[in-house]
Amino acid sequence: MNTPPIVNSPVLWAAALGVFLVIGLQSFIYLRAARRAASAAGMTPGELRTAFRTGALVAVGPSLAVVVVAVSLLTVFGTPAVLVRIGLIGSASFETVAAQSAAQTAGIELGGAGYDDRAFALVFFTMSVAGAAWMVSTLVFTPILSRADRRIRAVNPMVMSIVPGAAMISAFTYLGLTEVNKSAVHLVTFVTGALVMVLLHLAATRWRKAWIREWSVGVAVAAALGAAAVAL
Amino acid sequence: MTDASIERFDRTTSRWGRATMLAGLVISLAGPLYLMFGEGYWPGWGPVTQAWVAVAVVFGVFWFSEPITYYPMLGSAASYQAFMIGNIANKLLPSALAAQSAIGARHGTKKAEIAAVTAIIGAAVVHLVSLLLLVGLLGTWLASLIPPSVTEVFGYIVPAILGPVLVQAVLSAGQNRTRVIALACGAAGVYLLVALVPSSSAYAMVVCVVLAVALSLLLRDRGGSATTADTAADEKSEASA
Repeated sequence: MNTPPIVNSPVLWAAALGVFLVIGLQSFIYLRAARRAASAAGMTPGELRTAFRTGALVAVGPSLAVVVVAVSLLTVFGTPAVLVRIGLIGSASFETVAAQSAAQTAGIELGGAGYDDRAFALVFFTMSVAGAAWMVSTLVFTPILSRADRRIRAVNPMVMSIVPGAAMISAFTYLGLTEVNKSAVHLVTFVTGALVMVLLHLAATRWRKAWIREWSVGVAVAAALGAAAVAL
Repeated sequence: MTDASIERFDRTTSRWGRATMLAGLVISLAGPLYLMFGEGYWPGWGPVTQAWVAVAVVFGVFWFSEPITYYPMLGSAASYQAFMIGNIANKLLPSALAAQSAIGARHGTKKAEIAAVTAIIGAAVVHLVSLLLLVGLLGTWLASLIPPSVTEVFGYIVPAILGPVLVQAVLSAGQNRTRVIALACGAAGVYLLVALVPSSSAYAMVVCVVLAVALSLLLRDRGGSATTADTAADEKSEASA
């Protein structure tokens, strides 16, 4: 594998750490805002802590999966580019496709013979500019959608109690069935995760244990990955 | 309910959400711009445009469809978090939804919105720390250590998380009609739309989501007996038991 030396340039490291700092700062400001508004929204400090802990627990499995993919791409893109593009803003599937398209237009192969500093610059530039489009459109659309959202709530508050559920169920059904169609192992993984989740929900309802609800997604994901390992 | 502090939350998160996202955008472009113009690797407009078009053909639709599709699930404040942290459908939405269920926050309430924002912060902390430690510091060492079998198993993380999360989304929906309609719309997207028109896969999810939301609203139960998330979830669990 051919790794261009420029991938570890101090400037790239500084920019990568800069993105981490920005997300850290945003999280800090948001957490403070959430704490201040919690009681007005009928939320106790305990519930706020539960929300934080549950969110963190659920993220463990997916974060480790990202780490595994990121580590395998280190020799291609170098640590700073992997941290920002694969780890944060983008996703492994988008970034690798973007990188391959860029490499192809330059007539080289990632990690291949012609993959030098110049080629990496084009690949990294393409990933970053294409990935930036998501942020640009979020910056453009979110304020518009937010205004529409407020107007709808003012007219009929009932609407917004239905919209998120309908949107999420249809999205997860679509994404889930797309995965299930890929192979028998995908099917086994998906079904195991769903079944374990149903069982944990029944257990949480029967014994009225809050901690089961907090851990249920994490446990179900681990069980599903276990099933994938067995089925492979 | 004290509206002033809620209003302040909305103002703070939208102002700072936008500011931090803009900063993230600029900093994420600083590295590649430095390579192009600081190091002098700019290849001219030809190759740059060519590469960009190659990517835009595949992903261009997502640039517009994703912020719009995820807005109804995330809300304004969390949208600014999600598109900077990344991995929305397979990490951040599951985190937000699990937190809302854990504290029994109903969809569409301010409590649900604050729970989502807080859960995403929790997810971000886990994510940033694991990236910095396991990829930034130990990455090169781990690369030689992780056996291919582990990498292969983690390749199934997407179906592994979508199974439990679909169950959770179904359990936490407010109305049975919403559940049936949304499940049917999602399935129709895969088995009708994409099956018949394969090229539609770039925008099929948006079609499913818009259709599910529209039908769920049109056909909603107007009887006034709005079931809460919890009692509805209990009914559902009894039915499946």
